[in-house]
Amino acid sequence: MIGLVIATHSNLAQELINAAEMIIGPARNVKAVCIRKEDSVETIRSGVIEAIATVGGDGEGVVVMTDMFGGTPANISLSLLEPKKIEVLTGVNLPMVLKFFNSQEGLSLFELAAMLKAYGQQSISLASEFLQN
Amino acid sequence: MSLVLTRIDNRLIHGQVLEAWVPHIGADCIVVANDEVARVSFQKTLMAAAVPKGIKVLIDSVENVARAFHSHALDASKVLLLFASSGDAVKAHRCGVDFKELNLGNMHGGEGKVRYSCTIALDPADVLNFQQLEADGVRIVCQCVPPDRERSWKHLLHSVEG
Repeated sequence: MIGLVIATHSNLAQELINAAEMIIGPARNVKAVCIRKEDSVETIRSGVIEAIATVGGDGEGVVVMTDMFGGTPANISLSLLEPKKIEVLTGVNLPMVLKFFNSQEGLSLFELAAMLKAYGQQSISLASEFLQN
Repeated sequence: MSLVLTRIDNRLIHGQVLEAWVPHIGADCIVVANDEVARVSFQKTLMAAAVPKGIKVLIDSVENVARAFHSHALDASKVLLLFASSGDAVKAHRCGVDFKELNLGNMHGGEGKVRYSCTIALDPADVLNFQQLEADGVRIVCQCVPPDRERSWKHLLHSVEG
C-alpha cells in the first residue's frame, strides 16, 4: 500500500487529515509533519524521514504532499525525492488528500501522484463562472 | 433499477456522499429528490457540478423523481437516492419509490429537535414518519460514513430515553 505523508507549516497537515477523516472515516497509512517556528532544518528533515519510514514500510512507495512550492516543508521534501520510492506533490488541498484514499489500487506511485496533481488542480473552481456558462 | 443506497442527508450532495459512499457502494448515478433545490437553478447547477464526471446526476422535485423512477429511465443505473428530510422520504415512498432500506446520514439540530447522536436530531414528526415507513416494511438504519457501525434507528431512540 502506498503511504502518504503531509508536511506543512503549523498544524495544517494534521488538520487536513482530521478533515479527511470527518468525511470518509478513519484513514490508514498517513502521517502528518507539522513544522513550527522554532524547529531547525535538521529536526524537520528527520521528522519527514521518520514519517516516510513509518508509512512506507512495505516498499510500495510514499507520496509526500506539502503546502507550498518553495516553502520549507516542500524544500526539505524535495531533497528526499526518489523516483519510484518518494514522490513530492506541492500545493496540497483537501480534495487531493481524499482522492489519495479513494484511488490507490492498481496505480504505480508515479501514476497515482500524477493523477492527484491533476485532480487537485481540477478541484479549484470560481463559483461565479458557473453563471456565465 | 438498482437502488444501492437511499439516504436522508440534510446536506444532500456533499463530501461524505461523494468521497465515502459513492466509492463504497459503487453508485453510478446520484438522484436528489428535493423541491427546494430543484426550483433554484443556480443551486442546482452548483450541486450538479460537484459530482465527478462519469456519474449521472438527477436533481428534481420529489414527485418528478418518482415519475423518473417509474418511467424506467434509470433502470440501468446503480442509484444513490438522497432526501433532505423524513417528510420527503415518506412522500417519495407514497409516490411509489420502492426503497426497502433507509439510511439516516445527517439530520442536524434545529427548533424543536432532540439530538440523538452527533449527527442525528429528530422532532416528533420525524419519529412518526419513520414509524410509518417501518410499518410499510422499510428498514431504517443510522450510519453516517461506511466505516461507522450500522445501527437501528430504534437503538438511537432508546439510547437517549434510557
